[in-house]
Amino acid sequence: MNEIVYDVFARKDRGGPLTHIGYIDAFDDETAKVYAWKAYDEEKWFEMCVVQRDAVIPVTDGEGLFAQLKRARS
Amino acid sequence: MSADLDLTALDDEGRAALERLIVTLADSKRMMGIRYSDWMLGAPSLETGISTSSMAQDEWGHARLLYAMLKDFGKDPVPMEHDRPASEYASIAPLDEEMPDWAALVAVMVLADGAITAMLRSFAVGTFAPARSRVPKMLAEEDFHSSLGAAWYRRLAEADGEARDLLSGATTAMLPALLAWVGADDAAMQQVVSAGVIGSAGERLAAFRNDMRDLLALIDVDVDSATGSDAWDEVRGRTPGQPAEEAVARARGDLNRALLVE
Repeated sequence: MNEIVYDVFARKDRGGPLTHIGYIDAFDDETAKVYAWKAYDEEKWFEMCVVQRDAVIPVTDGEGLFAQLKRARS
Repeated sequence: MSADLDLTALDDEGRAALERLIVTLADSKRMMGIRYSDWMLGAPSLETGISTSSMAQDEWGHARLLYAMLKDFGKDPVPMEHDRPASEYASIAPLDEEMPDWAALVAVMVLADGAITAMLRSFAVGTFAPARSRVPKMLAEEDFHSSLGAAWYRRLAEADGEARDLLSGATTAMLPALLAWVGADDAAMQQVVSAGVIGSAGERLAAFRNDMRDLLALIDVDVDSATGSDAWDEVRGRTPGQPAEEAVARARGDLNRALLVE
């Protein structure tokens, strides 16, 4: 199956930091939302969102995960 | 919305009819959980397995809340949950046996879970106060089940070959029993409808068909012309048959009977 990697971000409280909590593989945005909510349900999240990893634009060119992935893809 | 239902004003038949409705909903939730749990380790991906595990827990939580409504009738829910034989279970027929493949599980996720949700949506706005207070949270959790089911259903329906055939076969096999259950209009259902506990058979069927129409059209099934099974068990409020003994043993918690704490 052609699946897409989505990174999962969440914050516990209003005004708290939006934190990268993991990733999931899904075949579209709708399944990504369900998988993320069901896989990372250890907290009562105030907010959770998913982002297609391909859509992330790294700002730094260093050894960060997203920059490395971007280089690997190009 | 009408005034709250006064249980003390119901005659014996009315109370039995409401009890039958609650039990068929609770049993269906419990068996739905069993069927999701069957796929915790065999789903197509880790994420899907985690989701079916979580949905199984949701369903069992919903079942527990529904069984607890029996306390309003002075009935102890513990024997209902742990002591009944399979022949007394009122769960919907498509959940009687383990799903043979992932396509069948997707069909059950959409159609069977969808049928239970259609019934609960109507129950949640009726005159039975415990349903109005407890069912809305269940429906909110069900949004995730229907989203996942719809996404997988579309994916399999748009595939060529075996996956689509399996989905189509499972759908057409389970649809008549579900239409009969959602559209039940026997004496007991007429009692609860007239008490305002749940919408009419026509209203419930229209809601269910509306939910299913677009998805089932993907496999060339016209849900508006499909008809329900004629066979009906008036005692339990479901089509004839019973869930597999092995599944009911798990539902009752037979293996852990010595550790049962309520």
